[in-house]
Amino acid sequence: MNNSDRETLLSIKDLEITFGSGNSKFVAVQDVNFDIFKGEIFSLVGESGSGKTTIGRAVLGINPTSNGQIIFEGKQINGKISSKEKFETERKIQMIFQDPSASLNERATIDYIISEGLYNYKLFKSEEERVNKVKEMLEAVGLLPEQLYRYPHEFSGGQRQRIGIARALIMNPDLVVADEPISALDMSIRAQVLNLLKKFQREQGITFLFVAHDLSVVRYISDRIAVIRAGRILELAETEELFKNPIHPYTKSLLSAIPIPDPRIAKSRKNIVYDPSIHDYSTKKPKFIEIKPGHFVYCNETEAEEYKRDLK
Amino acid sequence: MQESLNQAKVFEMGTVVPANNITEDDFTVVSLNGKENEKIDTPKYSYWGSVAKKFLFSKITIFMLILMLVILLMSFIQPFFSGYSLSNVGNINDFKARYNWPSAKYWFGTDANGNSLFDAIWAGARTSISIGVIASLITEIIGVIIGSIWGVSKKVDRIMLEIYNVISNVPSLLIIIVLSYSFGNGFWNLIFAMTCTSWIGTAYFMRVQVMIMREREYNVASKTLGTPMRRIIIRNILPYLTSVIVTDISMALPSFISYEVFLSFLGVGLSQNVPSLGRLISQYSPYMTTYPYLFWLPVLVLALITISLYIIGQRLADASDPRTHM
Repeated sequence: MNNSDRETLLSIKDLEITFGSGNSKFVAVQDVNFDIFKGEIFSLVGESGSGKTTIGRAVLGINPTSNGQIIFEGKQINGKISSKEKFETERKIQMIFQDPSASLNERATIDYIISEGLYNYKLFKSEEERVNKVKEMLEAVGLLPEQLYRYPHEFSGGQRQRIGIARALIMNPDLVVADEPISALDMSIRAQVLNLLKKFQREQGITFLFVAHDLSVVRYISDRIAVIRAGRILELAETEELFKNPIHPYTKSLLSAIPIPDPRIAKSRKNIVYDPSIHDYSTKKPKFIEIKPGHFVYCNETEAEEYKRDLK
Repeated sequence: MQESLNQAKVFEMGTVVPANNITEDDFTVVSLNGKENEKIDTPKYSYWGSVAKKFLFSKITIFMLILMLVILLMSFIQPFFSGYSLSNVGNINDFKARYNWPSAKYWFGTDANGNSLFDAIWAGARTSISIGVIASLITEIIGVIIGSIWGVSKKVDRIMLEIYNVISNVPSLLIIIVLSYSFGNGFWNLIFAMTCTSWIGTAYFMRVQVMIMREREYNVASKTLGTPMRRIIIRNILPYLTSVIVTDISMALPSFISYEVFLSFLGVGLSQNVPSLGRLISQYSPYMTTYPYLFWLPVLVLALITISLYIIGQRLADASDPRTHM
């Protein structure tokens, strides 16, 4: 597929995020470059502590960035921007949180939780319109309008996560950052939430930045995947391309670790262990290089040649 | 569907049905109702309803509540009927009226001036309770407002911490005594002296509480929805702090009453013509051995007021914590 004629919604350039300062300075994310196209589900996969949530939060402006640019709809949204611009982009970029019980205000009714953004941006003309909007949204996520005046603790985990989705999507956002939205949920209701996200992508053309560590989930839901390790994106490709032709050794080792629900096959499979010391970056600095159209790998020139040779 | 179910033969639980008796007609297709899955059957939850239920559950609380109501009614209504005045010494020459032990006529006895102690105690309790309530309300309101701002703003934090360090290192009793000396005696002057610096303790306490709450994930979620900080404090943080605020009030109220008693005992604070429990206690302390009722009855009433207020406050604080509602 040719990516050049697709409209870029979010573009991240040389992003660097650090925490602390001086001796305790810690670089969480560096050299991150990727574009998210309009209407797609873009996934960030990586192990714990790899910086995937940090990137997601930086896009929302929760984590300050120390270097690089985040460009949304052609405008830079990180660094120093006026509070008015920040307020405007806040509506367009919404977030679905990981833990549905921690991210809902336990002392507010569902009515208030879902309307919170509507109140902030005055997205309704009359009280009646607001209630109707909230009720429509509740039905869209599969909840009942009669539950409007209940409190979050009365709902099940899956229902709570759908409340979280409803409150983000009622804002009519262009981009939704879904930060591991199903990892706190029970197996049986994960599909329910995933299908809901897919439904919104299909019907309303909402773009998603999906952060996850579960590769099978990511394969099911996303259009393109970026693999991140220790704050660096190592490989980026379209979903099927990445699963069929993984290039970077880390990606190969990740894919070899996906559980197979058949003990006989699982037994015969060889697990690949990734050893970062195989890269020799002392002479040639690594870059994010396009090995195949739309398939990027973080490597230096020597490695790139090797990878290209292996492809043929 | 209901009808066809009724037509099918119904077997009792546990009976063994012969296999050849079961035909396909005995089964009906029951479809899964997605809407039905989402229903919540528990009765509607109401926060304050649950608080009231939990609060009124204990018999001790109800007893203390009744005791407090009786004391409040007596001290705010009885003085109107008795018309008690400290400066009224009309009975001073009536020897029969002096130093009467508690009896049917004088429930709490009389003092050297022939005044009924019963009237004096309720008039005094009215002043003491008023001071306690007004002072703790002022302290809490200022403390909660400033503490919430203090907890979320780094700029305010820097300035307030310095102010707090200075004020909290000066004994508060010293500040109150100095202030009431310099402003003169009087009801409102005393309240000013007591609340002038007391709010900073509450504000500091609230600052810490707000700081604990503000980084919680649901507040981050509110921020991404564009909610201004003011609304996050009012709608997200303060509702969670209801029980700690109630606890704080329940401790402040008795302590302000004790402050008033202590200051009046020293002769600072209220003007000469205002009756209060502290003044009664200090005035009658020489009679502790000769006419003990004169000293011990005001002390007893004071103890009943502070204990009932304290216990009710504590119970209310416990009940307002939703973790106890289960």
